[in-house]
Amino acid sequence: MDPIVKLDGVGKLYGRKHVLRNITLTVWPGDFMVILGMPTSGKSVLVRLLTGLEIPDSGCIFIRGQDVTTLPPGKRNLGYVPQSFALYPHFSVFDNIAYPLTLAKVPKEKILVEVRRVAELLKIDQFLDRRPDQLSGGQKQRVAIARGLVKNTEIFILDDPLVGLDFKLRERLIEDLRATQEELNVTFIYTTSEAVEAMQLASQLAVLHAGEIIEAGSPDELYHRPKREETMRCVGFPQANFLDAELKGHNGQLELHTPLFSSSVRLASHLQSNHTLVPARASAGFRPEHVMINAPASEHTVSFDAKVLLREDLGGEEIVYLDAQGIQLTTVLRSDEKGALSINIDERVTASIRLEDIAIYLNRCYIGRACVSHDC
Amino acid sequence: MVDITVKNLTKKFGDFAALRGLDLTFPAGQVTCLLGPSGCGKTTLMRIIAGLETPTTGDIYFGSERVNGLSTRQRNIGMVFQYPVVYRGISVRQNIELPLTEDRSLSKSERMRRVEEVLDILEMRDVANLDVSELDNGTRQKVACAREVARRPKIILFDEPITNVDINSKLQLKRGLKELFINLKQTVIYVTHDQTEAMTLADQIALMKDGLITQMGSPREVYDHPKDAFAGFFLGNPGMNFYENIPVRQGEVICDIFPSPVRLPSLNGIVDGIVALGIRPEYVRVSTAQTPASVRAKVVGSAIVTGGQYLLRLRVSSMTVRAKISHTIGSTVRVGDEVWVEFPTEHVSVFANNQA
Repeated sequence: MDPIVKLDGVGKLYGRKHVLRNITLTVWPGDFMVILGMPTSGKSVLVRLLTGLEIPDSGCIFIRGQDVTTLPPGKRNLGYVPQSFALYPHFSVFDNIAYPLTLAKVPKEKILVEVRRVAELLKIDQFLDRRPDQLSGGQKQRVAIARGLVKNTEIFILDDPLVGLDFKLRERLIEDLRATQEELNVTFIYTTSEAVEAMQLASQLAVLHAGEIIEAGSPDELYHRPKREETMRCVGFPQANFLDAELKGHNGQLELHTPLFSSSVRLASHLQSNHTLVPARASAGFRPEHVMINAPASEHTVSFDAKVLLREDLGGEEIVYLDAQGIQLTTVLRSDEKGALSINIDERVTASIRLEDIAIYLNRCYIGRACVSHDC
Repeated sequence: MVDITVKNLTKKFGDFAALRGLDLTFPAGQVTCLLGPSGCGKTTLMRIIAGLETPTTGDIYFGSERVNGLSTRQRNIGMVFQYPVVYRGISVRQNIELPLTEDRSLSKSERMRRVEEVLDILEMRDVANLDVSELDNGTRQKVACAREVARRPKIILFDEPITNVDINSKLQLKRGLKELFINLKQTVIYVTHDQTEAMTLADQIALMKDGLITQMGSPREVYDHPKDAFAGFFLGNPGMNFYENIPVRQGEVICDIFPSPVRLPSLNGIVDGIVALGIRPEYVRVSTAQTPASVRAKVVGSAIVTGGQYLLRLRVSSMTVRAKISHTIGSTVRVGDEVWVEFPTEHVSVFANNQA
């Protein structure tokens, strides 16, 4: 199998500013590729390069094996769902969805079939005769998405199509978008800044940070074994906790010192010698679900005192915000765990973390985990 | 501090019925969150209680006093809006004290006591002497809340006070509000579309849809015992799994999510008929081993969601089930695997059919 879309060292300058730098990304047929990046990370520029609205300053873009780097948008045969949708107010829903096909002079009978097909997938087939102003916000968004997906092609670019929708509408659209992509058996390249949306949709995930793809892989890989600090920070909700840390050598062993705890360090297998690493500023990251409250202490955990700032009830789980010596930390408790736990706002608790759940980053790259000294 | 009662309250805007007959009491000294999707009528209801809008029919009582004819000012209410209303050019302390100086019956020492009390509760001592122009908008919103609270009006209305605060100050503002609500028992009506905010801050949630209050109760009560499919869908992340057209015969539910016909506590005496069932994704139990109450399921999707949990999509015969499970089990399950799922009967809700 050959990649269906491939970016090879793609860069883009706006004036002297590198808005995208050395983007290399491979998309396989049938992938739901999600590009996750904060606002201003360069997502929209990347979409413009893929669709052909702009031409890169360096590197090449291949679609279906063909070099399309300088090919105009009309010749790339891509479907496109833009971020901000503009429906024609005087057209019916049907005509809005059909518009790209009408423009391409597709025969009427075929238009009828194609529009019905995407309208059913997106559950708007009962509204086809209505005007946009008779629809709710979520339904309008579905019409806009349907207009992008009606094109008879196998590659679609979706530019953050759920941004601004409230969370219940997103919940349904996320399920329907994923089902649509599976049903159509096509390739989606999809941008968003929402971690949970990205993880629910993606078969493959790429993290775009400050104009660079810093890491790509399956959502599971990026969540459980992020190689870059920014990946750990942005792949996951609530965001991971990070502590400023210092790496020091002591009796030939590498030690991690944070304001809340100290431990030894077990280096990742690819790092041979630790001597070049110390002393150095580093950071220690751990996921909210790995912070335990009032759990029994053991030699495999580190513990510290904290004050409960707020308990936020999400229904199925709870986010508990802690203040540990002026550092704000986040924990998550599942509803079946929290039953046994009665803690109140402003209460003092003992927070603990298993050493193996603490990832250490040096220069924002993963170097290893905390450990008990005799295990390292 | 008084309770608020509305009787037979309706409001029409032209042909559109924004409120369609409300009869309820908001208890004194409690925080009631009006929660619902946009367009449900929650803001209209709040504006009518505030006296900013007149009802088409119906009465509003503060305690035993009918207030229909009273202006907003005469109703003696406090209001906090989406954007903080503060007086620039004066300090935080002066902002809080200003409305109190209008009340001639308050002694200076009582005035100071109230100001210091809210400053303490909101942990604003270190900014008390700063000009409000120097503060971020989250802290300004805290000042706006403090000022309304210190006045001790009969009721305080909050209209989505957190929505427009930048993300970094949201936690501090939420914590401040929670502390205020715990420490000063005032009658509060709080409008929001955000279920987490409502679940976190409310004593009571009044769930609204299409101009009606569909359910009122404590957050956990509404969450765990939704009265209709809307409550099951609207609360929760994601909302409930729903199964429609489920037959009940001789007091037992016949559905493929159970290995055999079962009696459900929530059937409430239904002996024969057709119902809909709902269960929250986090209550569905997933295991690799069979249990007496479990049925076979196939994993068709898996995604990491809040706090590293896994949201599984499962097929049980022709039905789709979403299960939210802990990361310890979730990370061992792969798409395509066969697993066993159990639907604990105490967590299965029964609804009228064809509501969802």
